[in-house]
This record gives sequence, C-alpha cells and structure tokens, in this order.
Amino acid sequence: MYVIMVYDLQADRTHKALKLGRRYLTHVQNSVLEGEISDGDLQQLRGEIEDLLEPGESTIIYELSSDSLLNRTVFGEDPTEDQRFL
Amino acid sequence: MDRNYHVFSDGRIERKDDTIRLVTDGDEKKHLPIENAEALFVHGQIDFNTRLISFLNDQGVALHVFGWEDYYAGSIMPERGQTSGQTVVSQVQAYDDTEHRRELAASIVSGSIHNMRSNAVYYDSRDRDLEAEISALEQAASRIDDGLPINELMGIEATARKAYYRTFNEILPEEFRLSNREYNPPPNEINSLISFGNSLVYANCVSAIRATALDPAISYLHEPGERRYSLSLDLADLFKPILADRVLFRLVNRGQITRDDFETELGSCLLTEHGRETYSKAFEETLERTVDHPNLNRKVSYQYLLRLEAYKLKKHLLAGERYEPFKRWW
Repeated sequence: MYVIMVYDLQADRTHKALKLGRRYLTHVQNSVLEGEISDGDLQQLRGEIEDLLEPGESTIIYELSSDSLLNRTVFGEDPTEDQRFL
Repeated sequence: MDRNYHVFSDGRIERKDDTIRLVTDGDEKKHLPIENAEALFVHGQIDFNTRLISFLNDQGVALHVFGWEDYYAGSIMPERGQTSGQTVVSQVQAYDDTEHRRELAASIVSGSIHNMRSNAVYYDSRDRDLEAEISALEQAASRIDDGLPINELMGIEATARKAYYRTFNEILPEEFRLSNREYNPPPNEINSLISFGNSLVYANCVSAIRATALDPAISYLHEPGERRYSLSLDLADLFKPILADRVLFRLVNRGQITRDDFETELGSCLLTEHGRETYSKAFEETLERTVDHPNLNRKVSYQYLLRLEAYKLKKHLLAGERYEPFKRWW
C-alpha cells in the first residue's frame, strides 16, 4: 500500500509527528511524508498517531492500493528518489 | 515489504529520532524508515556506535558489511528472537547421520542443477544454441543419488556448474567472455559480476536463516568446517541462478553495465561504485518480484522464497516432513 501522510500540530510539537512518521515513511516536505507501507505497519502507525494528537491537532493519511495509481509529478528534486541506495 | 537498504557513500550511520540516519562525509543527512527494514548493506566506509547496534538489535535489523574489494566481510545480526536447542540438536543429528546428510545434500544439488538448467533452457529458447550444455546438465542431474558420498555429490555439482558457466559465453556479448570461473581476486569483468552477485545472495540467505532458529554454521552439502556460515552456502547454491545470474544477464545484455563500470588493477577487476549501485538496484527489484506460490495459494516475493527455504528445512528436521528443494516452477 502507498500512503501520503500530512500533519498539522501545534508549532512546538510538529517534530513529534515528523519523528513518528520517519520511522515508516519518507519525509518529502514540511508536514508531508509518503511511501510504501505494509498493512500491519499502517495499523500501528494509525494507533501511534491517535496517541500522539492533542485537541485541535490533526493528521490525515491518504491511502492508495499501490503507487502506480498515483499520478505524481515532481518539480525540482524528488526526495523519495533512490531511498534505498544511499 | 521488508527492505534491504544499500549504503554506498562514506560517512556515519546513527540512531536519530527512533529511526536510522545516514550522515555522509559531504554532510548530507538522510533518514531511513526503520519499520520496513530487513537489513542494511554497507558498501562504503561507515562509522557507527554501540547505540546504533543496540537499536538495530531491538528492531531486528541486520547489518551486512562489505569490505575491501567488496568481499562479504561479515554481519552484525540481531540477537536471536528464536532460540531452540531442539532445532540445533535435530540439525546436528541430521548432519551426523550419514544417510540423512547425503539425502539432504543430494536434494540441494538436484535443486541447484534444476535452476541452472532452467536458465539455460530460457536462453536456448531465445536463439542461443545451448543444447550441449543442457544435456550436460541433465546428465549430471541423472547421476545424483541419495547414496553417494558427499564429495561425489560435490563433484556432480561442480561438473554441472562448469557446463552451466559455458552457457555464459553464448548468452553474453563477446566482450564479456568468461574463460574460467576465478575469484580472490576476480581477474575479469564477468567473474567480478558473478562474485558480487553471489555475495548478495549469500548475505540474503544469512538473513533468512537467522529468521529461524537454525544454526547457520551447520550444513549438509558444504562442510560445516568452513569459515563461513556454511548453511548459507547450501541455500545460496539454490538461488544463485535465479537471483544473481539472471540479473547479470539482463544488465549486461541490455548494456546497463558496460566495461566502463569496472576498474582493472594488477590482475584484479572490480566493479566501480556506479556498477555496484546499478547491480544492487536490479538485484533488489528482483527480490521484490512476486510469483504465484502453488502450495501457499498466494503471491510471494523472491525474497520470501529464501525465507521459505529456511522454514522448509527446519520443518523437515523437526517434523520429518519431506524436504523438497526450491526448484523454479514458473
């Protein structure tokens, strides 16, 4: 499964969402992560997000069954490119 | 989804924000998602500390190190989640029981020849004339017998492999001739590609064995006395044709790897960083490919086939279920 995660937390707490998301996904822009994820890991990520959020904060996860369904155009440098070969 | 990450740059890997971060010598920082990592393959010069090792251990991620001239230099494996004295005892008993050991060794040789043959047959159907080699492989396969001593089984495997390596000259373009299979160090391009590919297969088998309670040092076809994890050598023999060799044929025939991807120095010929990266990418893509598994009734990745092989062996040793070696069926 391919997901895009966007988060909106209080300014001094955004790093918590970033830190959480980075364990599963690739950080592409401020408050946005994306990447391939297994069903099990996604379940776990959802749970951890719920535990993290405070009133007034939100996180949205968009799911696609695969990245081939996503019509994705990148202008400039693509942060997800060659994530596995560093 | 368990991925291998390859690090070719020089720098430092560290634990950061509960995940792994690479800081290159150029001070570039990159985060790797730990949750979907199976293993890190380190090809460059990398520093790390004990904090990283404990973290990788907690997360069950292995670190495979490739050293000078990109030889496999060793692995830092997570502490065993699975320990089972029973498994090790059965493993040793099977080794000690001459008949049982021969039976397992014969299975491995027959699987390995089958998989070499399937590559030869594929290229034969694509306008190469490989009939002589195919019949040599079939002849070798027909000589396999459970009752043969290990060194004779090894001999059959070696004869088959020799015939199989002759197919390389037909399959590959002229400038990539394999006169003889040699290593330490590989003298030419093609030997160097074979060595690199085999070392990746080997390291992946180490990871697969580690996922079970099997002891990687107790093997059947190869002698357990060797310095390496010899059970991994046993399993790798089955998969080298499917994983390493097919990637090699594809990359060379499509011109994705050329002579420019090698550095020749005093009798040794090695892949450049660019060449290693190209190869590893194609190799990882292959590991992720899936096939329909007839018994499991679902799609499984090539990488999972390695894992299944270790499970099958364990099940055979513990529950006595017949061990059928991996043979390409598609």
